[in-house]
Amino acid sequence: MAQISARAADLPSGRTAGQGAGRGLARWLASDRVFPKIPYVLVEGLIIVTILIPFILTIYISLLRWRANRPFETATFSGLSNYEVVLTDSLFWASVGRTFYFAGTAVAVELVVGFVLAMLVHQCTRSKKLYTTIILVPMMIVPIVVGYNFSMIYVDSGPLNQLLAPFLEPFGIDPRIRWLSHPVAAQFAIIIADIWQWTSLTFLIFLSGFSALPAQLINAARVMGATPWQIFWRIQFPLLKPAILIAVIIRSMEALKMFDPVVLLTFGGPGTSTQTVAYFLWEQVWVFNKFSFGAAASIVLLVMFSVFIYFGIYLLVSQRATVDRRAA
Amino acid sequence: MARISIKDLQKTFGAHRAVDGISLEIRDGEFLIIVGPSGCGKTTTLNMISGLERPTGGQIVIGDTLVNDLEPGERGLGMVFQDLALFPHMTVFENIAFGLRVKKMPDAEVRRRVAAAAAAVHIEALLEKFPRQCSGGESQRVALARTIVTDPSVFLMDEPLSSLDAKLRVDMRTELKSLHHRLGATFVYVTHDQAEAMTMADRIVVMSKGRIEQVGSPLDIYNRPATRFVAGFFGMPTMNFVEGAVVASGDRRSFRADDVEHPLPAAVPAALAGREAVLGVRSEHVLVGDGASLKGVAQLSEPLGDTTLVHFDIGKGRRLVAKVGPTAAIEPGEALTFQFAAEFCHLFDVHNGARLY
Repeated sequence: MAQISARAADLPSGRTAGQGAGRGLARWLASDRVFPKIPYVLVEGLIIVTILIPFILTIYISLLRWRANRPFETATFSGLSNYEVVLTDSLFWASVGRTFYFAGTAVAVELVVGFVLAMLVHQCTRSKKLYTTIILVPMMIVPIVVGYNFSMIYVDSGPLNQLLAPFLEPFGIDPRIRWLSHPVAAQFAIIIADIWQWTSLTFLIFLSGFSALPAQLINAARVMGATPWQIFWRIQFPLLKPAILIAVIIRSMEALKMFDPVVLLTFGGPGTSTQTVAYFLWEQVWVFNKFSFGAAASIVLLVMFSVFIYFGIYLLVSQRATVDRRAA
Repeated sequence: MARISIKDLQKTFGAHRAVDGISLEIRDGEFLIIVGPSGCGKTTTLNMISGLERPTGGQIVIGDTLVNDLEPGERGLGMVFQDLALFPHMTVFENIAFGLRVKKMPDAEVRRRVAAAAAAVHIEALLEKFPRQCSGGESQRVALARTIVTDPSVFLMDEPLSSLDAKLRVDMRTELKSLHHRLGATFVYVTHDQAEAMTMADRIVVMSKGRIEQVGSPLDIYNRPATRFVAGFFGMPTMNFVEGAVVASGDRRSFRADDVEHPLPAAVPAALAGREAVLGVRSEHVLVGDGASLKGVAQLSEPLGDTTLVHFDIGKGRRLVAKVGPTAAIEPGEALTFQFAAEFCHLFDVHNGARLY
């Protein structure tokens, strides 16, 4: 106590020892040697806590034989047997194939519709903000509300069938389409719901792409006699390639994890006809408690999707890299 | 035939009148430069000639054709933009060829014409490069070649040299002038740089607030400015202005500003006697030294190498600038005497700035 008092007495009047230590720490953190390293420590800390530890745990669990409804102490090391089970599971591969089908169809339509909408809104001279806001609304709605709304739309006597009836009845087709209980129609139902909600995002990406195009390039092409189609095809479209690739990558990453509309509309059914891989994993882990199987399947999917996404990123940077190499 | 006739041309953006009823005849083969400060309507005028802006009123006739309702590509013009507007995803070759490709010209003809255009501006070695790999001067030449290649009868240029450094700008001025000579086409060039206007133009159009202040040859504009605005816009440093009144006594005319009185040429009309006016005199026509009767106190001296600018005070906060010889040593605070070269004095109306003499 005497020592502390003595130290406190050494400090300039009006300061306590705690304040002095705080100032010393602040000075140390602000020093040229320490301060530049702070961001790295924070970023690396976040990576370790949020990515690395869960990733290692997942790999670890994938190498065990363990069900979540049994104590962890009963788990035994099983090597790569879980991977073998995953890779030979026909349901797993069927759900992977279905996921690529859903994601591919939904993203393709979202890209085309989002692009066309962005092109039209970009050309609007009036009410541009109003149209933009309206088109962005679906993206901002909570998925569970979207799922509920679409389940109402899809019921046999619901508004969708009512709308289609005048077009189907003249051809003798029963207008009461069982959107959620027919294996093929249910797939379309899920894809349509995804398209409705996420076209907003591709629209937003393309609209920002169109807005970033320098107006003088278009003017130069107009003065040189280019038609609107030539301007679009030769100037705007090539310059929007990076935006298109970004939209493809972002939407593919999300669509490959498609889960909400499946749970909210069909629960993977009828049968397994709308089971995506995310739903398949959820069922294996949370319904059947097959944690180790789920962990192994997750790692397999991570590798598979990473290859797919990195291929997209490679395409995105390759054009730029070609130009830079020529410049070097 | 590349004569351009502009009649009562107007353009409004909401309540703002960007171009306020201008009329202008641009001769075939002329190098006409439209000059003025930012927001004076010069670029809007050029854009209306090109078709990128639709006039609110008035007529534009190119050759014998009224072009108001024609699309930009139907007017037979070439245009160089302020930021050059080269297509970043195309090679220099494809940039130059663009205007020919959209007209579906045969490939062999495209190659021949691109090669000729590239040779005209000495960029044959750049054809396989991308715009981002070109320097400022090279990009400038690419933009010119892209315009030349379609063989337009009228070239429109919107401040094309503004992004270049000072030395390159001077070099490109010379090149543009020689290009105009070789092509014999009509050039309509917009700039806010009076030096570009003075050095390149056959005629200059000075614009302010959407209106034409004066049209004339560069020396006309410099030596006989039609308004105080034109007088102040041209010349570096800007013209000296002193407010006062014209005094006439028999055949003698003079200008009085409080305690300062200076003789004017006898040719100044007697009708101006007693009228309030602004005297304008360029710095090179302010004579400092022995024999002068008016007094001032030097404030600042700026040696430029070939000349020195002396800023001096003549009382009541009025400052003048004189251009003196490079060896003149005038220190701040030093008393000096000065007078104006009377034959180079200009008189402007106090209220509307119109030239009185």
